[in-house]
Amino acid sequence: MDRLLTIWIASLAQESPDGSTLRDYLALLDALSVLCPFTEPVRLGLLALPVRGPSRFFGGEEAVLEAVRQTVHDVVGEEPLLGVADGLFCSELAARAGVVVGVGLTECFRRAQPLDVLGRKDLATTCRRLGLHTVGAFADLEPARVAERFNTHATQLHRVARGELSELAGQRDARLVARLAQLRGEDDVHDEQIGFFGQRGAGDDRAQAAAHRVRRRLGVDAVVVAALCGGRGPQDRATLVPWGSPESVVRDDAPWPGQLHAPSPATTLAHPVAIELRDADDQPVRMGSRGFLSGVPTTLLLSRYARRDVVWHAGPWPIVERWWAVQRRRAHLQIVLTTGEAVLLVAESSRWWLIGIYD
Amino acid sequence: MTVSGYSYEHMFAFSTKRPTLPDDLVATLRPVALATSRRLPLGEPWRALVPGGGLRRGSTVVVQAPPGSGGLSLALSLVSEASTRGHWVAVVGVDDPGVVAIADLGVDLRRVLFVPRPRGAWAESAADLLDGVDLVVVRPPSRAAHGAARKLMDRVRERSIVLIALCEPSAPWPLPADLSFDVTRSQWITSSRLDARYLTVRVAGRGEAVRSAEHVVVLPNRRGRAATS
Repeated sequence: MDRLLTIWIASLAQESPDGSTLRDYLALLDALSVLCPFTEPVRLGLLALPVRGPSRFFGGEEAVLEAVRQTVHDVVGEEPLLGVADGLFCSELAARAGVVVGVGLTECFRRAQPLDVLGRKDLATTCRRLGLHTVGAFADLEPARVAERFNTHATQLHRVARGELSELAGQRDARLVARLAQLRGEDDVHDEQIGFFGQRGAGDDRAQAAAHRVRRRLGVDAVVVAALCGGRGPQDRATLVPWGSPESVVRDDAPWPGQLHAPSPATTLAHPVAIELRDADDQPVRMGSRGFLSGVPTTLLLSRYARRDVVWHAGPWPIVERWWAVQRRRAHLQIVLTTGEAVLLVAESSRWWLIGIYD
Repeated sequence: MTVSGYSYEHMFAFSTKRPTLPDDLVATLRPVALATSRRLPLGEPWRALVPGGGLRRGSTVVVQAPPGSGGLSLALSLVSEASTRGHWVAVVGVDDPGVVAIADLGVDLRRVLFVPRPRGAWAESAADLLDGVDLVVVRPPSRAAHGAARKLMDRVRERSIVLIALCEPSAPWPLPADLSFDVTRSQWITSSRLDARYLTVRVAGRGEAVRSAEHVVVLPNRRGRAATS
């Protein structure tokens, strides 16, 4: 989870009928992009930027906070609320409170929050009746318990509470990027995908029209295409982007494996699922610091009741990613189950995640 | 008799009478059916296993496989050759497509539109796409309703494109298909890593199509492609 600086500007949160809010927001985004090119428009009133890189450049987080405060003051003429924490969810909470959460203290900060911050009144009420008042208390529930008692929405919230997801589902405004692009006058360019479809023929135009229809039915990001972007090998060149989006947004947590040989999993989970591996003595199998497994995996636990027997495994193959920012120690593991299914796991921060199914 | 706008009279304008042909030659002649334009091409290994070596336009193909046993790879390997020949493909309801695997199967990703989470509207989304693409792969999230399937198949026939429905045995396609691929067994070959998977596939069809027969194919092989075993 990235350490983010989140900026909350109350006067830019409300849409104005003449569109002035959106224009001010765009002006502020452009000004902040000069400070940090990775500044993200989250939704109206809210922006976020990764704080680690800029703080090295400006000489500390305090200096970045001051620079951002000054920029907002110059552009909007208002004092923003600023906050720093890991992940968008906690970072926004920090901004609302106007605090900087120390490195490594985000977990404590999140757990101490009241349940209302998850944004679901019904869930908060139910939990209060169960005697659960904080996010931490909710997070301590077994995932299986939550799944059987609440709906899927609550399972997502539970993952946010546990820190497995860094943001709430509705926290981002998915349409905002497209609207800002439209305001900049770049809309026509994006919808055409010039140079992406190569030479255009009648078939391409028909396909474009069809994609438009689906987008009108289901929303702007309903249709996605694979973007082929530059990479070191044939394996790390493809990513999925909404059809008609300005450019391929290469996410550093892209779930498809980068350095594995073919065959690759035909299903790569956009939201990896936390699982457990046990050995023959029912002890958890962990990835040691030298890249060895602590035992031979024999059972895969999707939840407490869904166990699958492992007949074969290969790996772990260590992967080093983003070596210039954070050293992440991760490793891939291939597993074949007794049912004949093959899956791809990744070990990260001493947990196992299901990231791919060889369907 | 007219074949795509040309009449025989016009073709043999220099002669009012048809040319006389030797009888033994006439016996070998077949009517012009424009078979290649009525079929979308299939790649290896399917070309040899499907009558005509291609997917007939207007037909519905059902791929049925237990979850996680190669149904998705099979369905995508059926569209790979067509996509490299310039045909557009839409993939509806495949939530998290593995782009690298799809590229390895030989699919030209520049001509594929994905609609990953159509929510309740998978049939409507597929219908929206029928006018714009030549092949639609759908994976209904649950058992497809009879009416929705019927409507979709009718539209597919009308538009002369190919529908590939990807289903699980627990939620089969509610109507008989023109061609069906049934994965009955899947077996991984491993060394120090996953190497290849042998799929036993029952190919069946109706009308001109084959009697049902079981074939073993490699999908994917060491290079991520579909191949004959």
